[in-house]
Amino acid sequence: MTTLVHADGVTKRFGAFAAVEDMSLDVHPGEIVGLLGSNGAGKTTLLRVLLGLEAADVGHVEVFGDPPADADRHALGYVPQGLGLSQALSVRQNVDFVAAAFSVRHAPALPTTLAAVADQPVGRIGLGRQRQLAFYCALLHSPRLLVLDEPTSGVDPLARARLWDTIHAQAEAGAGVLVTTHYMQEAEQCDRLVIMSRGRGVARGAVGDITATSRTAVVHTEEWSAAFAALDEAGLPVTLAGRTSRVAGTAPERVRAALDADGVPADVEEEAATLEETMVLIEQSSRHPGPR
Amino acid sequence: MRAMIVKEFRELRRDHRTVAMLVALPLLMLVIFGYAANFTVDELKVAVVGDQADQVQQLVAEAPQDAPTTLDLTDVDAEAGSGQARDMLRDDEVDVAILSGDASDAAGGRPTVLVDGSNLFAAQSASVLVAQLGDRVDSEILYNPDLETSWVMVPAIIGLILTFIGTIITSIGLVREREAGTLEQLAVMPLSPTSVVLGKISPYFLLACFDMVLVTLLGVWLFGVPFRGSALLFGIGAAIFLFAVLGIGVLISTVSQTTGQAVQVALMTMLPQILLSGMIFPLDAMAAGVRWIGYLLPLTWFVKLSQGVMLRGAGWESMWLPVVVLTAMAVLVFGVAVVRLRRDIAPARGAR
Repeated sequence: MTTLVHADGVTKRFGAFAAVEDMSLDVHPGEIVGLLGSNGAGKTTLLRVLLGLEAADVGHVEVFGDPPADADRHALGYVPQGLGLSQALSVRQNVDFVAAAFSVRHAPALPTTLAAVADQPVGRIGLGRQRQLAFYCALLHSPRLLVLDEPTSGVDPLARARLWDTIHAQAEAGAGVLVTTHYMQEAEQCDRLVIMSRGRGVARGAVGDITATSRTAVVHTEEWSAAFAALDEAGLPVTLAGRTSRVAGTAPERVRAALDADGVPADVEEEAATLEETMVLIEQSSRHPGPR
Repeated sequence: MRAMIVKEFRELRRDHRTVAMLVALPLLMLVIFGYAANFTVDELKVAVVGDQADQVQQLVAEAPQDAPTTLDLTDVDAEAGSGQARDMLRDDEVDVAILSGDASDAAGGRPTVLVDGSNLFAAQSASVLVAQLGDRVDSEILYNPDLETSWVMVPAIIGLILTFIGTIITSIGLVREREAGTLEQLAVMPLSPTSVVLGKISPYFLLACFDMVLVTLLGVWLFGVPFRGSALLFGIGAAIFLFAVLGIGVLISTVSQTTGQAVQVALMTMLPQILLSGMIFPLDAMAAGVRWIGYLLPLTWFVKLSQGVMLRGAGWESMWLPVVVLTAMAVLVFGVAVVRLRRDIAPARGAR
């Protein structure tokens, strides 16, 4: 069996509102698949359907080759957005419970940062350590599939880097990882991305594949402030990166014309859009379907 | 300040539960206190037994019907004696039994009035009547000779404590799990929904059992409340009752998102139980319009059972009805609650 998760044409509605619509997704062993999208794009609902916490209205879902409700839960590790730890229990008591639930006899040693607070209630330790504990608990039974919902929100950059080291180590050991995020830096760590907007999958592939579809006009000039004002006035989607203006998804000729109209001297060249710019363009085009 | 007031009203408008409490609770209190808050039992069920039963029956029948307390003659049996009269009182078939005397006995043929003291307010009304008859009758108050309020209250309080643990503590315990988001974590673990539900409820069941024993022993020790009946019958009845109230607690947790909401709803279910179960106001004294609500509440039947077993030593022959009703309530409420909780834990499984 090579596919850990297979979802085909999944739709989940709440009343008239379709939180997830016609989504398809596969996760294979050893790969990190990122589910990227803004808040409310439907990422968490899709995860809940895959985990069997919600039933899909339409479509077909398999986890380890079985319907989600019957999937082998011993092979699944899950870190929910809220972490799912018992706040009143100590770090060690939380670990004991998870180990017992998964029938793990010999749990690996606690990382030193957690060992230092092993007897404290989880509610009293910092958020970074709580996330580390949730990861430790999710990995305790060496799952074949790791599902992470916004795993690093509210975590400082150093701790985030450490958590991503853990995620990569799991993938290298052969586990499949499905992770939702809205951080671009995190998305760039994934082997494959599925971008969701308004419940639908609007783009998929490696970061390079996705960004290759979009171009950005980059403006180099001494008069960077005047250039930004001119482009903004012309109604173009301009952003500032340092002293360089960037106009995503717009032909260099249009940018040059806008600058000429205000008499701002500048060099305009075209380069590949960043993932963030691509996301904004994808979001816009999904909001206003049709040629842009 | 105006902005603050407007904001508060807007928030209240969105908080349906609080609005329901603000509107429904005063109405409920008014109706309950209006119709149920009555300590005076104005009709007593009377049985007359013994050789002279017919003559005594005449006297009872001729008693003035416009008196504050009227007598409802339910049974006249010249064949029956003191033993049967006491049985009728123990089984709560009557409030008062009149034992017509034999002219040759020590009392010189005076009837003896036996009163059920476990039915406190009925017994008080009966005592007033007996006092009016002076030395024309002998009287004896059974089960609670000094008409101690604590003797009647302690068995009822045991039920109230079990209700408190079952509804408030259990619903808070379950909702806390939902609030913390650990319920969905449990759902993806290799634990069956049944073991999650039972694992979650069992500790509360055991704690409530412990409390029940503690309160019963303390009641007997501190207040001298007698325990005359079968501990087994009492224990079985209490366990069934506990399932019913735990079920209410679990049901509350399935309709509440926060502990605050759970406490609100739990209090709304506790209040009618306290007021309408007969533990404070006697059921016999309530207007029929609210009395039937009392009969829909588990606490009402537990109070009947605990007072019957503890004070009167009543056995299965008369206590089967409370046990059957409590069992039906427990099966219904606990069943619905577990089904709903299971659905919360594994919606995809429940849907299939």
